[in-house]
Amino acid sequence: MAKEVTLDCMGEACPVPLIKTENALKKLTVGDMLIVQIDHSCAMKNVPEWARKEGHNVEIEEVDDGEWEIFIEKTK
Amino acid sequence: MSEPTVSVRSSSRARTDTKKKAKKNQLPIGIAVLAAMVAFGIYLSTVTPKLALFWILGCCFGFILQKSRFCFTASMRDPSLTGSTSVTRAVLIAFAFTSIAFAAIKYGAMVKGLPIPGQSYIVPISLATAVGAFLFGIGMVIAGGCASGTLMRVGEGFGMQILSLFFFVVGSLWGAHDFGWWKLNFMLKAPKIFMPDIFGWAGAIIIQLLVIAALYIAADKWENRKLDTDQNH
Amino acid sequence: MDIKNNKFYQMWFKNAWTYVTGAILLSLFQIVTLATTNDPWGVSGPFANWGAWLYQAVGGSVDKWYYFSSKGAQATLSGGFMNDPGSIRNLGIIVGALFATLMASQFKFKKIKSLKQVIAAILGGLLMGYGARIGFGCNIGALYSGIASLSVSGWVFALFLFLGATVGSKLLVKYFM
Repeated sequence: MAKEVTLDCMGEACPVPLIKTENALKKLTVGDMLIVQIDHSCAMKNVPEWARKEGHNVEIEEVDDGEWEIFIEKTK
Repeated sequence: MSEPTVSVRSSSRARTDTKKKAKKNQLPIGIAVLAAMVAFGIYLSTVTPKLALFWILGCCFGFILQKSRFCFTASMRDPSLTGSTSVTRAVLIAFAFTSIAFAAIKYGAMVKGLPIPGQSYIVPISLATAVGAFLFGIGMVIAGGCASGTLMRVGEGFGMQILSLFFFVVGSLWGAHDFGWWKLNFMLKAPKIFMPDIFGWAGAIIIQLLVIAALYIAADKWENRKLDTDQNH
Repeated sequence: MDIKNNKFYQMWFKNAWTYVTGAILLSLFQIVTLATTNDPWGVSGPFANWGAWLYQAVGGSVDKWYYFSSKGAQATLSGGFMNDPGSIRNLGIIVGALFATLMASQFKFKKIKSLKQVIAAILGGLLMGYGARIGFGCNIGALYSGIASLSVSGWVFALFLFLGATVGSKLLVKYFM
């Protein structure tokens, strides 16, 4: 059964959200879902960019004013 | 922006929707800020037109930096930290475009016999440049933004950058205090090198663009190389 | 019709632009800046004036400092914030970014989260301030404007900036996250 893990990066500035995402994703297995919560507008661009380049499935949702959740499904 | 659609959404949608707060519409406040910007610009133009011009330019720079999330810090940090060079390559594109236009403006002034504008930015190269840039490089990564990035993030509402802006100002005062010592010991003897003085105008711009192109290709190769090694695991 | 679904609203205000779009527009305004003000864009220079004003406000004096000894620097200091074009431009960057964030309905005040962030902000700010003064500017004045002005100093700044950023990344990962 695929896991769903939430990573809280609220209040973190670049590049911390991206590094935390990389580390968190390493611990997951294929098919798992990582949900990264961010409120840093730059991370909202570079985290999805990195994850897509790595080949994972990525979806961004704006959950509140200036807050986003990035859904990353580990594919490999 | 094209977001590849993924199956992910349906499974997590329900969960996010339940905890989703009602989003406020900040557009009216945005319009009010715009009105204040215009009013302040009009006020400044009654003092001197120069102030109003700088105000308009500042607002435009702030808007562009925020909309494109342009980050000079990331351009220097990400290649070694995450292997991403997309910001680095964008910065190089900006360098190339601006270099061509600046050269044209400067050359045009010279041909007309006018003083070349902006030559105060051709500064001496000394140990102070190296130390200053090195310290600046450490500082911007730790603080999460350089000068323009810090100002932009203050506008976005980051408490951390308000604090770092304050200490940037304090550090500037400290640097200004020591400036005389650096000037006396290093800057006075140091050379100022304006590339057209050495290579001629055409030579300078060709060399400049070749260097930028070489860095662009290197950045592109670096990004893909890093990705390849990751995939081999 | 809802403005939020308008494609021009989404393009100009809601969605983030690409980095390359930013690069081209920044170039355009750099050119406007040099053509209209006779100088390229700079950001960190006015911060030294802000520091001097703060220092004067708490009773200090910078009259004897070499950095502020020129007639021009003295005139800027006595003119105050509201008459210093560079300071006004920096204020514009803050307000322009605020405007952009509000128009996207993405403004949120982000509180400082931890003591680590406080130390990072203080240390980073001090290093940047000192470095920018002795290095003749920041990523805008010394790097971007320096390189674009065909000054070799810009490239030297870039090299050591890159080395500093690499060291900074190591420190950040080790101590500040």
